[in-house]
Amino acid sequence: MAGASRAGRWARRVLAVAIGVAFVFPFYWTVVISLGHPGEFSDFPPVLVPHWDWSNWSRAWHSAPWLRLFGNTILIASCTVVLCLITSLLAGFAFGVLRFPGRKVLTLVVLSVLMMPGTVLIIPDYVLANDLHLLNTYWIQIIPWGASVFGIFLVRQFFLTMPSEILDAAALDGASRLRFLRSIGVPMVRPALVIVAINVFLGSWNSFLWPVIMTNSSMESSSTVQPVEVGLSTFANAEGTDFPGLAAAVTFTTLPVMVFFLLLQRQFIRGALSAAGGVRG
Amino acid sequence: MGKRITAAAGLAAIALTATACAGGGASTPKSDNTGAKSSGSGTELAVPTGPVTITFEEAMTIGTLKPAMDKLVSDFQAKYPNITVKLQGDPDYATMYTKEKAEVQAGNAPTIGQAYESWADYFQSAGKLVPISDLAGTDTPAEMSTFYKGIQADMKLPDGKTWMWPFNKSVLILFANADLLAQAGQSEPKTWDDYATAMKAVSKNGVTGSTIDPGSATGAAFGTQWFEILARADGANLYDADGTPHLSDPGVVKALQYMKDLKDANALATGKNYPGETALGAQKGVFDISSAAGYGFENKTVGGKFKLDISALPSGPSGAVNELTGTNIVMFSGASADQKAAAWAFLKFITTPAEQAQWAATSGYLPVTSQAMTDPVMQAFVAKNPYETAAVSELDTAFTLPGFDWIFKCQGYEATAIQEVLENGKQPSDALNTAQGACTAAKAQG
Amino acid sequence: MTATTEAAKALAAPPGPARRNRARDFRATRWGWAYSAPAVLVFLAFVIIPTGYTFYVSLWKWNALNPALSKFKGLGNYSRLFNATQPTFLSSLWHSLYFTGAMVVGGTAISLALALLLQRGGLLLNSTRVAVFLPHATPMIATSMIWVWIFNPKFGLADWFLHSLHLPTSQWLQSSASSMPAVIIYSLWHEVGFTTVVFLGGLAMLSNELSEAARVDGCSAWQEFWHVTWQQLRPVTVFVIAITAITSLQAFTQFYQLSSGGPAYATTTLSYLVYQEAFIFSDTGYGAALAVVLFAITVFFTLVRRRTAAGGESHALV
Repeated sequence: MAGASRAGRWARRVLAVAIGVAFVFPFYWTVVISLGHPGEFSDFPPVLVPHWDWSNWSRAWHSAPWLRLFGNTILIASCTVVLCLITSLLAGFAFGVLRFPGRKVLTLVVLSVLMMPGTVLIIPDYVLANDLHLLNTYWIQIIPWGASVFGIFLVRQFFLTMPSEILDAAALDGASRLRFLRSIGVPMVRPALVIVAINVFLGSWNSFLWPVIMTNSSMESSSTVQPVEVGLSTFANAEGTDFPGLAAAVTFTTLPVMVFFLLLQRQFIRGALSAAGGVRG
Repeated sequence: MGKRITAAAGLAAIALTATACAGGGASTPKSDNTGAKSSGSGTELAVPTGPVTITFEEAMTIGTLKPAMDKLVSDFQAKYPNITVKLQGDPDYATMYTKEKAEVQAGNAPTIGQAYESWADYFQSAGKLVPISDLAGTDTPAEMSTFYKGIQADMKLPDGKTWMWPFNKSVLILFANADLLAQAGQSEPKTWDDYATAMKAVSKNGVTGSTIDPGSATGAAFGTQWFEILARADGANLYDADGTPHLSDPGVVKALQYMKDLKDANALATGKNYPGETALGAQKGVFDISSAAGYGFENKTVGGKFKLDISALPSGPSGAVNELTGTNIVMFSGASADQKAAAWAFLKFITTPAEQAQWAATSGYLPVTSQAMTDPVMQAFVAKNPYETAAVSELDTAFTLPGFDWIFKCQGYEATAIQEVLENGKQPSDALNTAQGACTAAKAQG
Repeated sequence: MTATTEAAKALAAPPGPARRNRARDFRATRWGWAYSAPAVLVFLAFVIIPTGYTFYVSLWKWNALNPALSKFKGLGNYSRLFNATQPTFLSSLWHSLYFTGAMVVGGTAISLALALLLQRGGLLLNSTRVAVFLPHATPMIATSMIWVWIFNPKFGLADWFLHSLHLPTSQWLQSSASSMPAVIIYSLWHEVGFTTVVFLGGLAMLSNELSEAARVDGCSAWQEFWHVTWQQLRPVTVFVIAITAITSLQAFTQFYQLSSGGPAYATTTLSYLVYQEAFIFSDTGYGAALAVVLFAITVFFTLVRRRTAAGGESHALV
């Protein structure tokens, strides 16, 4: 490997570029279609250069209160992330560090949560949400997702790999558990928290069936609590054959997540790096 | 090992607790005997005078449907300022059905909602609907006699009672690229045999006669309905009035064989998301069989690139046969007396000739009463869209499948049979035998 | 406040065995319940109790709208499940395993290969990392809409691509033979970004000495990978496989959006079937029985995996 030839290095680069292009191409094509003339999308062979016709964008933009929907998504996703971080940190600490009767059972119970197919839970959850008067609120889109099995176990993993001397020292210093968690625990598991935050954020942004069922659509209203993906779906159903408009809507609803990820990708990859380290235990 | 046993016991305990809770809920059901009430009091509910709000679960959230819906509501509220109609719009029908079920289950049902016949049957069998007789005082209110015959029949469930009020009704019509048709030396097909000839004649140079959506196991599409129409046009009976299926009868097999022949001649393709409309608009297809209510969408897709010809469906040996599409409105049983009365006023209002004319001209759905046809708004619309007359004339004879909730599954089996034949090359009789067996089982299952 | 009291105690505490006791006390505490409570309560309310309810409902011909009208069936729904013909239970199970198998094998292999390719830094390779991850950062609802068009046999990019390479084109989602592969291609595109990044993390943790020793011993690149890198990556691989298996067994959105379980049930997986029976057909009891079976299968696989995993990984994630 040390003698890897120049040719080999170039082959690697060319391959990497080809793969990168292949992964990004569907996005590129979507943008091209969204900026093309209506009707062009069904040309064969496909048009691969944008014509900078923004009419699809303006048509799609004016068909739903996108800004309000965006705001909802960001509010819901951020609150879910905060809640998830708190619950994951506390439970991960309890499962990874503390010893208490019933811990093993509790761990298995939490683990079993991963295995229940989500779709069947919606109806009982709807009934529950109705009883709690949580329908059509932000709460019902936040609280049920405010704990993550993945998050708990990732944080637990980090605590398990923590040298026990640190704990002993903290105990001897007489630190309370909460203070230990705040001043030593959080910095130590920060990489795990970053990856949990991003994953929960993406998960929240990705949710569809849940908000559709739990909230009422009132697309024109300025008080809707629905997230942007539901708006996109409504638009898609409405304009199923207006593909350029749909492409525009897909582009501008997806762009913010992409920008968000591009801004945070370094953090994320670093988080994933250390998370993998945690997994290795 | 010990650990595992503890864990299992813990889970079991939780399951038991939950079971006990659920059992408790189930043993104290709400008494709900609206379904058992018979023919009605003889007196009609009077329009309430105090402020009332009714909710309407609907899917008219898209394209020209939304303004049409909003107009109905604002006209109604202008006439009855004390009544507020709150629309609960959903992005599509599957979502709407899921929501209606969830709402009814949670005791949170809307006052009224859009429903297909099979949905209405499901709600009714659980005692969750208010019959029209409770509102009008009679099972056959006066307004009903002004509706087209096919519409009237469609308001009843298999028990013979009126449970639904008509809403967005339509039939299928034939859209065609007149230019390509002329180029191939073909004219507007009058019979299904003509249609097959024309389909084959135009299918060349990358053009496929028509692309259909065969539907899926979870729902019919226009392709499924076309298949049903072909079978009925040939004199076959798909279902008896009691729902007994006849999906493997020779006439039905013949209909599917007709489709297979077109597919084998490369004159028919399958797709999804209104594939016929897309292909038509891209000038890669010549025909599209779609709802009359799809007119606005088709016209927009075509965008004046060629002459769009719109006509009634071709006919078969049994004459002109068409199937009703679209939903009705049902009233859920949780509503207060005032809400029922207000909703009844709303139902009657939207089927008045003037409102029907407005609604039909904006949404593209067909008016349910012939009295709307003489309204100036409607006459202006017909002048611009001559196909409307032919489509409306079929409302008297258009059929619907018997309104059992499991018919929905059977339509899924039909769609699957079409997929098996057109997409997987199976023989029509084999595929339909399977569908017949599955549908019989679904009927027995209830 | 607690901190101060505990600090005060710490000052007063005698040295010796008591110190160790305090360290043990720090860990051993019933307050563990309180720390786990927020997460456990959320799960209890929205997952575990509804799951118990699902078990219960699976024993009935359940009338969701009016539970009083439900009829007790015992295991009737379960026996019905095995007698179903359209689709058969075994075909749905097979589709689940087909999809899961392809995602686990394909996803793991591709993401490992990508991670090996992209493990060095540099602007170019970093950009490719971002490109590969990007699909995972986009909502499935949005991107699967685009892929329906890519797979369109008339106008789609996929066939255009095959066509321009003079390869035979495909009907993609319009044929039973190719619809599952199409869904898998989409899912791989959407999912491998995440697992690639996890593998990249694993690679970054590898010990360099071992690789160098291998090279000194004259190992080829492949031998080095097989004996050194791969061995050290095992725990990460196990994690990737477990996560992929569970998410694939429960995958729903792509089947809903791309293929609606068809054509002719070719992409009807157990998870999609649960949705179809419980939601579309309102057959709540039957759908619940299916959900229980899917749950049992997931548990079974997890147990098998835990049993077969090396002893040293007792605290692996799943």
